[in-house]
Amino acid sequence: MRCAAAGYVYPNGLRQTVAVMTLVVALLLLTGGCVSWQAPAAANDSALRARAVSDTVRDVTLSATVLGAADSEQLFGTNINGTGVQPIWIEVRNNSTHTLWLLRSGTDPSYYSPLEVAWPLHSKFAKKSNARIDAYYNALDFKSPVPPGGARSGILFVNPYKGTYVLNVDLLGQQSSYPFTLFLPIPGEHNVLARETFVRLADSAQNNVQNLELFRAALEQLPCCASGGDPANIVFVGDINDIAAALIRRGYRVEANESDTRQRIFERPPELVLRKRGQGGVPANWLRMWVAPLRYQDKPVILVQSGRPLGGRFAVSDSGELQLHPNVDESRNLLIQDLMYSGGLAQLGFVGGVGAVPGTPADNPDNDTRYHTDGLRAVLFFVTRPLAISDIETLDWVPFLQQREAEAAVKNANKQPGE
Amino acid sequence: MESRHAISSVLVVTLIALLLAACVSTGPLPEDEAKDYKARLTTRSDGGLTIATSVLSDTESETVYGVPLAEKGIQPVWIVVENHDDIAYWLLSPGLDPNFFPASEAADAFAGDSRKNNRKLTQRFEQLAFKNPVPPGGTVSGFVLTNHDEGVKMVQLDLIASGQLKTFSTINTVPGFHADYHERSAFTQVRYTDAQIVNYTEDEAFRAALEALPCCVTNKKGTRNGDPLNLIVIGGVDDAFPALVRRGWHPTEATTAGSIKKMINSVLSGERYRYSPVSPLYLYGRPQELALQKARDSIHQRNHLRLWMSPMQYHGKPVWVGQISRDIGTRLTIHSPYLTTHKIDPDVDAALVALIEDMAYSQNLTKIGLVKGVGAASIDEPRENLTTDPYYTNGQRGVLIFDATPTAMVDIEFLHWEGDEGGMVKESARRKINQ
Repeated sequence: MRCAAAGYVYPNGLRQTVAVMTLVVALLLLTGGCVSWQAPAAANDSALRARAVSDTVRDVTLSATVLGAADSEQLFGTNINGTGVQPIWIEVRNNSTHTLWLLRSGTDPSYYSPLEVAWPLHSKFAKKSNARIDAYYNALDFKSPVPPGGARSGILFVNPYKGTYVLNVDLLGQQSSYPFTLFLPIPGEHNVLARETFVRLADSAQNNVQNLELFRAALEQLPCCASGGDPANIVFVGDINDIAAALIRRGYRVEANESDTRQRIFERPPELVLRKRGQGGVPANWLRMWVAPLRYQDKPVILVQSGRPLGGRFAVSDSGELQLHPNVDESRNLLIQDLMYSGGLAQLGFVGGVGAVPGTPADNPDNDTRYHTDGLRAVLFFVTRPLAISDIETLDWVPFLQQREAEAAVKNANKQPGE
Repeated sequence: MESRHAISSVLVVTLIALLLAACVSTGPLPEDEAKDYKARLTTRSDGGLTIATSVLSDTESETVYGVPLAEKGIQPVWIVVENHDDIAYWLLSPGLDPNFFPASEAADAFAGDSRKNNRKLTQRFEQLAFKNPVPPGGTVSGFVLTNHDEGVKMVQLDLIASGQLKTFSTINTVPGFHADYHERSAFTQVRYTDAQIVNYTEDEAFRAALEALPCCVTNKKGTRNGDPLNLIVIGGVDDAFPALVRRGWHPTEATTAGSIKKMINSVLSGERYRYSPVSPLYLYGRPQELALQKARDSIHQRNHLRLWMSPMQYHGKPVWVGQISRDIGTRLTIHSPYLTTHKIDPDVDAALVALIEDMAYSQNLTKIGLVKGVGAASIDEPRENLTTDPYYTNGQRGVLIFDATPTAMVDIEFLHWEGDEGGMVKESARRKINQ
């Protein structure tokens, strides 16, 4: 439980001064009556261990479980899930020759430290009890490093997901890395979409394209748009784990809502939807993802509808119907830029297939189109081994770069700086 | 006992409230003699590429865009890229600010009820935006919209072509704040004579020098120790700086009367205040050259680091001595003349490790090491910083070596100094469960 309260105060003059004092006195009284945390009697991780999902990369095994409210009560003596913190139990068994170190920023760029989670449980004037809380939370925290031949388990405090928790764990050793991606069920949530993703991935193996030019032609034949009308303007190529790792490192989280289900491709709603939120949890970009019925050199192919809602991070709330911002190319191009910093992007190309839609002139808003685009689909190839930004290669497909270069040159010739 | 605390807390708050009333009348600092943003360019070149940048004042951005961008926390950076190479380059906006604003999104912030006007507004924003690519032999100029900084802005330009990256870093003054903002010169000012500078090329000698540094920062008089000096950053404008900017670190405002008022408001309301000021701490008899922070969801969640330029170099690279802490809350205090302070996570090693982990994704971190020098403080006998926050540590300082050439995460090297290979966190300061 949180004992803190926040209020808006505008200290400007005597009346506000009195208001400030009243508020603080009230807070002191409230916090004084809030000593309630008790260490749970028989906390252990056996239940979490029993339902863990595991994966092995070379000589290293990762197991993980998402804690529900009841698990939190049992382990922490309070439901910390209720404070917007998602605890995840993990265990690393290291049979490699490297000492390994977990990079928390890769799991969630906005993760919480254990003492940060413990802080709201503190009571004023209760130094000893507060120290006990801190020690307890610290002890449960996952601690790097994991020595060669050793195993470590503990809790990561991250931000909550909806539906399925896609856990990315980057373990770093001496000039080596072990990236993991696990799809974890969240207690009390339906895990249907993730299961469907894997069924579709298995099915797609029947149509495995080997030749790059044939693959390009196949990509151009994929549906232009979802039945809800939004353009499918991106293709991801790579193992689902590598794609997820790159997105999570850049702050995308699994989060679908009602409006996503109305966008259908291959006669079904998207298998997975990821969103990147701004600070303070305001709505931002979405990526609606469908497993396409083909593979390229055994690698899965994901058709993606990328966009952002009108209003973006400045919208008051995203609870209602989300309206696609008409400049879909901007959203597509900025996603590419973001993923260039992910370490997971290896190659980039562009193909047709979306169909060009010219923009509506500003003086004729009645004859409006829902969106405008150059009609190109960005194709992003992902790899497991993290790459430097200078290693990303561009494929010579649709002469997107040259086309843009020519446009830029013309605009440049006609443009005065700052206009 | 409790009632005595309560009374003293009320007294503190009364004192603060009285001071606040005095702060309200403090006017804005005199505006810089702002030259036109196109005239005060900071320019850099590498091979066939030349770039120039400037940061717009709040008044300038309102004039150029026709709407008060600063009120929404948006700050345009003016960028010119001149390309004399034979390939096209693309500017990556997330390199300037991982939370930058796409032009259309910033336009949405000012949308009204008229669709026609909204469309015009969006087109205006899109026209002003920097447009990729920069063709061979061409010049492209335009704005990237970033989060608002006060005083000074670190601008990082990452320009990529297939299989290539060119990076440029500039430090720009933001007109309208302190004309003499000292961070502007942090990377460039000559602080030491050639005779004072020691360039280490032997690792063991360098390690010994790092271990011999003072344990902690001090107060102005040097009579009391404060936060531990737990960080060494090796690199300058071209290597350490891009790494920090790409991961969302930005300079923070020096504490002024105006900033104190804004911060206290922020403490009381829980609102996000991106540039919450930091108070000066002392090393080498002077306050930090550079104070950086990485804001999270609210003022209560941010990491701070302070850096001092040392007279040391490592293979010719500047060596910065620093202090890093993670805020887990903000509280009112009588131990700081600024009356508010950040409640730090007492596990200061966790803050250091968080920075190192974050930097692993920055593309410029090449080596990580640990040295002694801070002195251990156990959880049962913690030390205190200058604002009486307790902290404990295993006594090690982290050493981060940066290089301008991008390094993939997988190629980062651990120095075999303190700790095991990669053994960033010893558990001496922490307790085992159920102990």
